[in-house]
Amino acid sequence: MLSVDGTITRFRRDLTIAALLRAGLMTVALTCVLAQPLFGMHQDWMPILLAVGGIWVVLSYRSMQGTRMAADSPSLIAAGEFDRAESHIDAALKSFSLFRAAKILSLHHLAVLRHAQNRWRESALLCQALLSQKLGNMQGMARASLLMLADCQIQLGDLRGAFGAMGRLFHYRLSLGEALTLQLLQLDYGWRIGAWESMLQGVGGKIQMCELMPPINAARSQALLALAAYKLNRAELARWLRRRSELLADPREISAGRPVLEEMFRQPL
Amino acid sequence: MEAAPPFLDVNTLLEASEPRPRIPLMQFLIGGFVLAIILSFFLNRSSPGGPSQEVLQSLIGFGLMGFVGCVTMAGFISVRRVRAEQAAVGAVDELVQLRRWPEAGLMLQTMLSRPARSPLARAQSLLYLAMVLARYHRFEDSVTVHDYILSEIPLDDVTDHAVRLGRAMSLLREDNLLDADRAIAELRRTSRGVDSAGLALVEIYRDVKTGHPAEAIEMFEKQLQVLRRQLSHRVADAWALVARAYDLLDRRSDAQTAYDNATLLMPLAELTRRYPEISPLATKYQPAPAPLEVA
Repeated sequence: MLSVDGTITRFRRDLTIAALLRAGLMTVALTCVLAQPLFGMHQDWMPILLAVGGIWVVLSYRSMQGTRMAADSPSLIAAGEFDRAESHIDAALKSFSLFRAAKILSLHHLAVLRHAQNRWRESALLCQALLSQKLGNMQGMARASLLMLADCQIQLGDLRGAFGAMGRLFHYRLSLGEALTLQLLQLDYGWRIGAWESMLQGVGGKIQMCELMPPINAARSQALLALAAYKLNRAELARWLRRRSELLADPREISAGRPVLEEMFRQPL
Repeated sequence: MEAAPPFLDVNTLLEASEPRPRIPLMQFLIGGFVLAIILSFFLNRSSPGGPSQEVLQSLIGFGLMGFVGCVTMAGFISVRRVRAEQAAVGAVDELVQLRRWPEAGLMLQTMLSRPARSPLARAQSLLYLAMVLARYHRFEDSVTVHDYILSEIPLDDVTDHAVRLGRAMSLLREDNLLDADRAIAELRRTSRGVDSAGLALVEIYRDVKTGHPAEAIEMFEKQLQVLRRQLSHRVADAWALVARAYDLLDRRSDAQTAYDNATLLMPLAELTRRYPEISPLATKYQPAPAPLEVA
C-alpha cells in the first residue's frame, strides 16, 4: 500500500530532479552548438551533442514507459480492481520520467484510486499536492481534481474547504459531465448547511440535469431536492421529486451516509 | 455547378471520413539529417582541419537543434489537432445527451466530411451518427452505419454490445422483425447479453410490437432491478412499454400505474416519439401530473 505522504514527497523530488536534468541537457546542447561560432572554442563538439541527444532519447523512452504503465489504471479502478491499479500506479510513480505530465498523471490516478476506496483524507491530500503544481494545459485534470477535492472535503466535514474548491471551479468552463458532478456536490453541500432556498433555485434546470446523471446520482440529487422542497413547504414538488427518486433507486442506497434522507424516506409519501 | 450533398448522407460521410495516409514528413527530416552527417564526414576527410570543416560542424549542430525543434513542433501540432478532434467528439456527445439533435447532426456532418485523424474519433463519431439518424427516423441509414461499424472497426466487448443493441432497436423501428429477432438472438449468446438492461428493453419492445404482452411483462418483472440500475431515467421507456403490454391484456389498473411511472420520469411527447406503439394509451390513461415549477 502506497503511503500518501511519502508519495507526495517523492513526487515533488522527482519533478525537481527532472527539471534540473532537462535544463542541464539543454544547456550542454546549446553550448555545443554555440561554443564554436560565438566563442571560437575549436573542439569537436559533435560527440558530446550526440551523447546528449542519446540521453534525451533514452530518458524520453523511459518516461513513455511510465506513462503506459499508468494508462491502464483508470480502467482497472473503474472495474474495481484496486490492487492491480495500485501496483501499476506504484510502478509509474517510481519510474523516472523526464516530463512532468507523466508524473502528474500518475499522481492524479492515485488520487482517483483513493477516492474510489473512500479514503477521503488521502485523496484530498493528493488533490491538493496536484493542484499546487502549475498544470498549464492540463486543465481537465485540474477540474477533475477540484471536483474530487470538494467531494472529499464534504465527506470529511470540512465544509469551508469544500466551498473553496467548488468556488475555484467557477473559473473554468466545465464539461457536461463535470457540471453534473458539481450539481450533486452543491446539493450535498447545501443540505449540510441548510441552504434550502438556494438548493431549489432554478429547480427546473436542475431536474433536467438530473435526468442526464447515472441512476444513483440522479436519484440522490432528486431526493435532496425533495428534501429542500419539504423544508420549504412545497409539498407537491417534494412528493413528485421523491417518487421519481424512488423509481430510480432503492431508498437505502440513496440515503447512504445521509441520515436526513433516511428520515425523509421513513415519512409517508 | 455541383449540388451540395444531402444532409447526413451516409455513403458520402463513410467514404469522406476514411483516414488518409499522411505525408511522411518525419522520414524526410531524418533522411535529410543523415545525409548532412554523411556529407560532413566526406568533406571532413577531404579537407581535415580546414575552415570549411568548422563551418560545417556549426551547420550540423544547428541542423541537429533544428531537427529536434521540428520534431517537437510537429508532435505539438499533431497532438493539438488530435485534441481538437477529441474535443469535437466530446461536444457531439454532450449535444446528443442534451437531445440537441439538429446541432449534433450539423457537427457530425462537418466532422465526417473530411478524413478523420484518429480511427477512434471516427468510430465514436459514426456511433453518434447512427443515433442521430435513428432520432430522425432514418432507421435504414442507421442500420447501415451500425453494420459498417460492426464489420469495419475493431471494437471492445462493451462497445460491440452497445452497437448491436442500437442496430437491433433500429431494425425493430424499421419493422424488419426477422432481422431484429436474429440480432436479439445473437445478443443473447454473448457474455454481455446476461443482465443487460439494453437487451431487456429491446426484447420488451419486440414482444409489445409483435403482440406478445405476457412475455413483455414477464421480462419486465424479471429484469426490473437491472433496468433501474443501468438505465437511469431511460427506465421510463420500459415502464411505458409495459403499460402498453398491460393495456393489451386489459389489465387497466396495472397499465395506469405503469403509465403513471413512465410519465413521471419522462415527458409523454418524448416517449411517444420513441415508441409510437404507446400513443393509444394517451386516450385511456392519465399521465402523472407535473408540479407547476417543472411543467
